[in-house]
Amino acid sequence: MEAPDGGAPGATPDLLVMRGIGKRFAGVTALSNVSITARPGEVLALMGENGAGKSTLMKILGGVQPPDGGEIRIDGEAVTFDGVGAARARKIVLIHQELMLAPNLDIASNVFLGSEGRGLLAPLARGQAREKTKALLARVGLDQSPTTLVGALSVGQRQMVEIARALSVSARIIVMDEPTASLSADESQRLFTIIRQLRADGVAIIYISHRMEEVLELSDRIAVLRDGRNAGELTRQEATTDKIVALMVGRELTGGYFPPRPEPDPTRETLLEVKDLMVPGAPAGVSFNLRRGEILGFAGLVGAGRTELAQTIFGVTPAGGGVMRLDGKPFAPRRPRDAINRGVYLAPEDRKRHGLVLPMSVAENTSLPAVGSYNAWGWLDRKTERKVARAEVTRMATKTPTIDTAVATLSGGNQQKVVLGKWLAMKPRVLILDEPTRGIDVGARAEIYRHVAALAAQGIAILMISSDLEEVMGLSDRVAVMRERRLVGIVERAALSAERLGAMMTTSVEKAA
Amino acid sequence: MKRELGMLGALVVICLVLFLSNADFLGQSNAVNTLRQIAMLGIYAIGSGFVIIAGGIDLSVGSVVGLTGVIIARISSQATGGGGHSLALGVIVALGVALLVGLLQGLLITRLQLQPFIVTLAGMLLIRGVSQTIVQGGTLSLGSSPLLGLANGGLFKVNGDPLLPYPLLIFLGVIAIGSYVLHYTVLGRYVYAIGGNREAAAYSGINVRGVETTTYVVSAGLAGVAGVCYAAYIGQMSQQVGVAYELYAIAAVVLGGCSLRGGEGTILGIVIGSTMMRVIDNGINMFQLRYKDADGIRRLWRLDPNWTFIIVGAVILIAVVLDQVVHIVQAARRVRAGAPAAAGPPPAPPTTA
Repeated sequence: MEAPDGGAPGATPDLLVMRGIGKRFAGVTALSNVSITARPGEVLALMGENGAGKSTLMKILGGVQPPDGGEIRIDGEAVTFDGVGAARARKIVLIHQELMLAPNLDIASNVFLGSEGRGLLAPLARGQAREKTKALLARVGLDQSPTTLVGALSVGQRQMVEIARALSVSARIIVMDEPTASLSADESQRLFTIIRQLRADGVAIIYISHRMEEVLELSDRIAVLRDGRNAGELTRQEATTDKIVALMVGRELTGGYFPPRPEPDPTRETLLEVKDLMVPGAPAGVSFNLRRGEILGFAGLVGAGRTELAQTIFGVTPAGGGVMRLDGKPFAPRRPRDAINRGVYLAPEDRKRHGLVLPMSVAENTSLPAVGSYNAWGWLDRKTERKVARAEVTRMATKTPTIDTAVATLSGGNQQKVVLGKWLAMKPRVLILDEPTRGIDVGARAEIYRHVAALAAQGIAILMISSDLEEVMGLSDRVAVMRERRLVGIVERAALSAERLGAMMTTSVEKAA
Repeated sequence: MKRELGMLGALVVICLVLFLSNADFLGQSNAVNTLRQIAMLGIYAIGSGFVIIAGGIDLSVGSVVGLTGVIIARISSQATGGGGHSLALGVIVALGVALLVGLLQGLLITRLQLQPFIVTLAGMLLIRGVSQTIVQGGTLSLGSSPLLGLANGGLFKVNGDPLLPYPLLIFLGVIAIGSYVLHYTVLGRYVYAIGGNREAAAYSGINVRGVETTTYVVSAGLAGVAGVCYAAYIGQMSQQVGVAYELYAIAAVVLGGCSLRGGEGTILGIVIGSTMMRVIDNGINMFQLRYKDADGIRRLWRLDPNWTFIIVGAVILIAVVLDQVVHIVQAARRVRAGAPAAAGPPPAPPTTA
């Protein structure tokens, strides 16, 4: 690894070395030969697209998951962690994006949770814990009594409690996973002050973030991961937004992977008109038109509000205002059934949670939304069910032993095909695909892309949410970009570039092209 | 189906052992009586099954069983304390109240998103208290009401006693209708889908709240039907009738292969589970071993009836432990075969934020 800015190589010994780390999950490679180093008194930013492996790498460092291969050295000494406790004993603390605090306990109890000392039946040293917590809270600048319930704190304040918790074990390495994701600008600034102070105290900070400005402002070095591998490393001096985005998305956008698409036809009639739609919790309304036979991509970072928008269009969380028109007629779904009755379907992001009943068979899952309409009397028409399921398995080329196989046993790609098949059997007019290829391997992805393109060619309007820029750019006729729950612009296919989308997703607000 | 076959096999073995140890086990009197007990448990166990397969729980079943009889006695009995109205009126009101209880509990659970355990626990206590108040802490006799014929009468009389008691006929009817609804209708499919994945069912446009409410109505309604049978069988209604029955129902349903997580189980399994419960109950009384003591005198060794709960508890534990072991072995085999595990970690690389 090259030297930190300014210093001669070897001037500051590495505190942490992770070398050749690999990790596989049920056949999918999450990390492959990844190496990073961290030095005391340094902020290392870890960047990469969703699914690039940042969180997995940090979970390995925090002892949450064991690596399949590679070594971790602390102060030059090889270590293995068989649990969070072991990592903590080495003074490594992981602050998860979803804060791991018990809202029903007070601040002091949370700070010392798991490190109360003494035995399980020993009396709690409450007074002592409160005194120590008071000092720690002063250090992170949180003006709260140690006896305040964590449930009464804002997200930003809870972040401070997490940091106090890390300080309580005199952490030498603190990993922060998207710490500013739900902080206000003020709270973020306070966090940065504390991070700088920790750096001055000699703590190594590994900082995961998508936000360019704060990464450029805070970090001494920037390591970028892509598809579970090291994509490159930049020092603060050489880093620019463009360089980072280029490393993140990769230069070689593979051709032939995506099916050919006809030129976008802006004269096509609008099928779904969305005007000032207020998604509950969003700061502003969203407006766009979806044309017949069009694939409208939705790019943005996790938490940009795309899934919430999809759920509002599908009627899961009804809109708080604004209007939608489908085929010129008012469309205001209050529950999924309303949307389904109009031919608007959602293939959700979390297939296992929202898309499929895992213990049920392929046939039963395929028929689920339609089985009630197979006949008027309410008896179960298994004959139609099997006919429909067979047709969809054939159409999607789903690899399943039989249509009676439980979907739980299928691969991610085939599960997604079952989800798509269940909606295709009901003649969609608008199909919302939320992260259609998440957790799906490369071969099955290409197949899904072909199906999506074929559906658009049939005149179905497709709204495709994806955090994979390559995918969004490869398939979409236009790309809408969301950032912090606002629609920041819509880019025509001719004007698409990874740099442009990356910039819109992370920094400046750009008007629609 | 495998689970049901396993339980059926175990049941046949138990019956055979009981018959070999004591031929009276299959004698007319004991057999018919056991069948009647199986039927009365099975009727409300099927109701509980609907709730459990949809992923809920109903603890108010036993109290509804008790309340039904108390209402019938209060309205229809000619004896002291009874209203002296027609039997039909009493039965109709009692069943109506049972259905209403189910509807109210179902609405509370689905509309206010309260936990079914708490709502039905409160229901259990509340309804028990209502029964107690109606009987004024004592008993209400059904007198010589024609209802008593329901439990003791039946078809195909041999030696003056029926081979097919009416409760068994009612049970067969409930089995037929229950099987039809659960296994051959769209409603049944929705019950399984909701138990398997509530959110996916909602995302498929299913009226989750309506279907869930229906399961609580079915449960309370069948508890009402069972309550009518118990009233006829017991004749003297007190606050004690039906105490802890909901737990027998849950035990029978779980023994029959339903999971308390929901989404699993069949009517056939519940029938087998109910049968198992009652056969074990009865078997503890019937089982005997002949032996000669030290003096060469023939003696009979019998189970101590105080062991009943120990044995019932042990049987339930053994059944679920065996089931879980089979699950773990199958999952391990799948992992070794390289296929994705049914409920394992998501194959997706965890999303980085």
